[in-house]
Amino acid sequence: MRVASGETLSIEEVCQLRPDANGRSVEILRGVNLEVPAGRLMVVVGPSGGGKSTLLRLINRLEDPSSGRILLSGIDIATLDPLQLRRRIGVVLQVPFMYEGTVLDNLQRAFFFRDEPLPAANDAGLLQVLELCRLSLDLLARQARSLSIGQQQRVSLARTLLAAPGLLVLDEPTSALDRPTADQLGRTLQDICRQRQLSILMMTHDLRLAQRVADHAAFLDQGRIVETGESARLFENPHSEALKNFLSSPADQREDGHVG
Amino acid sequence: MSGSVIDLSIIDLVLVYGLVLIAASLARFNRIGQERDLLWSSLRMIVQLLVVGYLLKMVFTIASPLPVLLILLIMGGFAVHAVGARVKEKMPRFYQIVGLAMFTGCGGATFFFCALVIGLTPWYDPRYLIPLSGMIIGNSLTGASLAAERLTAEMKERRQEIETSLCLGATSRQASAEAVRSAFRAALIPSINAMATMGLVFLPGMMTGQILSGTEPLLAVRYQIAIMCVITASVAVTSFLILLLGYRAFFTPAHQLRIQP
Repeated sequence: MRVASGETLSIEEVCQLRPDANGRSVEILRGVNLEVPAGRLMVVVGPSGGGKSTLLRLINRLEDPSSGRILLSGIDIATLDPLQLRRRIGVVLQVPFMYEGTVLDNLQRAFFFRDEPLPAANDAGLLQVLELCRLSLDLLARQARSLSIGQQQRVSLARTLLAAPGLLVLDEPTSALDRPTADQLGRTLQDICRQRQLSILMMTHDLRLAQRVADHAAFLDQGRIVETGESARLFENPHSEALKNFLSSPADQREDGHVG
Repeated sequence: MSGSVIDLSIIDLVLVYGLVLIAASLARFNRIGQERDLLWSSLRMIVQLLVVGYLLKMVFTIASPLPVLLILLIMGGFAVHAVGARVKEKMPRFYQIVGLAMFTGCGGATFFFCALVIGLTPWYDPRYLIPLSGMIIGNSLTGASLAAERLTAEMKERRQEIETSLCLGATSRQASAEAVRSAFRAALIPSINAMATMGLVFLPGMMTGQILSGTEPLLAVRYQIAIMCVITASVAVTSFLILLLGYRAFFTPAHQLRIQP
């Protein structure tokens, strides 16, 4: 099977403006700098509305930044064909969208779009991804939309992994999951990172998940990277007041984005 | 005595307009406050139809292609304008797209029917060309409005699906295929329903008119069948073109959806 080697991602001085409801332009991201090393798992934590989802959308060019640049293994992504770029970067959006049809249909989707032969239910690569995502074989024939949200989250992850990206980017993958399911997904991500030499960037406000799985972490607040470092150091010994406040606020407040 | 129509004099018309007054007084009596609208609309109808009548009479006597083409162009312009009035949320480049689609769809259907099927002589014979293309344009207008309206709505409703597809490497065409299909389906529904109930609920206008003016009923039926087929094709081509040109307007060349969260 194809195992992509991990890509590095460098985000340099990225700003993003967007018009608000009154048509005035608002700075969503204000000079973001971030480095995801090859084969590492990095998390970006921060309150909702801090710019995490926008940052994610810039990485696979669902949007282009107002200024600054993003390099994938040294090449400015603005110069890459977006379709090629999206092969190298697998993005898992926050709400898993399931296409009509079975789980297998959903897993084959990327190949369908690329006009490549569809992997069969006994394809070695597909079986490996299923195992990695802890999806049982008998799910393949089920209607994807009848699955639980946790299972849909996994199908969405498996669907992206199957296309063999070199960088995996996830937006709040645990927001709809209960604690045990979220922890399990965290372990899955660690396995993926190790077994596939994959670089992973995860946006989340789930601090417990971030602390458990990440090699590196960054704190994104009000459109700025306030602090970054090894995750153990960042969470145990935060330097900035904003991060200290964020870490000590109750979980439900972090999710609602009342902090910061 | 087929071929001759009973004359309707001005006095007859005055008599009939009395019926509108009955309707208006009923409205007044029940205090629904619409008697003024009713009278105003009836006056508008009279003036508009008279203008059209004199215009047609003029075009019939001039017997030259230019005024006929001019009238067709004006009808098309009004139709595009009407589509614009019906569709609230317009896609980018709305008027160019709708105009081009209606010109191709309606123009093509009218040409096929008038020139190739019934073989008009002269080719611009206003007695056929104007009412037939009027029916084609009028029906395509409904299809065009539905297609344009549904496309924008589908693009918004399916934003999540479309962006998931883009993330999985789809082109903008692949990512919007479902939205386009669904809008196309909506655009065809009125034509399908109209054909299925044709003749059951009421007699279609063109057929009724032909029968009234003395055409043999079975010939009128044949014309009705023909015009319905032509209308269906025109609706399909017009809506399809709107969708084909329209979906691109929602994406950048870099396969990015312009509708942002």
